[in-house]
Amino acid sequence: MYEEENIEPDFMKRPPKNPFRTPDSYFESLEDRIMGNIKDQTKKSSSTRIIRFLKPALGIAASITLVYMLAYYPINKFLLKDTVQTELTDTTGTDLLNDYSINIASIDDNSLINAIFTDETNIFAETNPDEFLAYLSTGLNDVEIYSEIQN
Amino acid sequence: MTNDQQILDSLKDPSTRELAFRHLISKYKERLYWHIRKIVLNHDDTDDVLQNTFIKIWNGIGSFRAESSLFTWLYRIATNESITFLNQRKRKAMSGLNDENQFLIDNLESDSYFDGDEWQMILQKAIATLPEKQRLVFNLKYFEEIKYEEMSQILETSVGALKASYHHAVKKVEEYVKSHETRIEP
Repeated sequence: MYEEENIEPDFMKRPPKNPFRTPDSYFESLEDRIMGNIKDQTKKSSSTRIIRFLKPALGIAASITLVYMLAYYPINKFLLKDTVQTELTDTTGTDLLNDYSINIASIDDNSLINAIFTDETNIFAETNPDEFLAYLSTGLNDVEIYSEIQN
Repeated sequence: MTNDQQILDSLKDPSTRELAFRHLISKYKERLYWHIRKIVLNHDDTDDVLQNTFIKIWNGIGSFRAESSLFTWLYRIATNESITFLNQRKRKAMSGLNDENQFLIDNLESDSYFDGDEWQMILQKAIATLPEKQRLVFNLKYFEEIKYEEMSQILETSVGALKASYHHAVKKVEEYVKSHETRIEP
């Protein structure tokens, strides 16, 4: 039905002619320009791929930093600071550490033994051994001992 | 390296890929350029579309399965790129249904690389007023003398539908030319 033989309008009696032209030497440098564009595009897409790969990790890091900045840091900086200052009054952290630190190297074995047992030896010395043995043998409970003492 | 199969084989080898692609560009650049130029009409736009076409070919050559000839595959990519370009321009214009045709006529009139006479300008304007499919079929048949079977692979349309499109296109062009050529001064 649509065979071209049946279509012979007047304009088709003229031979088809290309009315367009290109700038001079356009086709000569085309390969270089296209290959240059392909290389640029490949570079761009590889850097985009790296960014796409790092995006989730960067997002998580940014979120954590944001949470820290918005919540944890202000709490530490302002609220806890007041509490600690009240508790320590005018004692600085360094003083506190110096007060409680023990110079273990300066303590020899004898002074350690003396430190542990000296006071306790005195306590036992004040106690009569017979009374002590009698106490152990009675098998009294705490309430009974208290009532004995009171009497 | 002028044979398509040789080019395709060399494209598979990373060490010869770039050189083979240069051969491919060299072999098809002019045919693809003129095919695109007939669709978008302006040289500068054609240059952009041609570059994008070859970038698409470079990226997609690995997926070419030789179910059709290399030539029809390249033509299909060039046609799709040209249509995508025109649709983008149409969306940018954002008004009226006939914008693409008006854009094409404007493109034609502003192209400094048009060397035709007044009658040829009328013919090009007549083609520019055709619907997209008819315009593609008319250009492929009238200027490039491509067979309907090959055209069917390029445009992914049946041969019957292509013949019908060409028939309608010729009628419309004839009417347009007749109504405008009387104004041409002898």
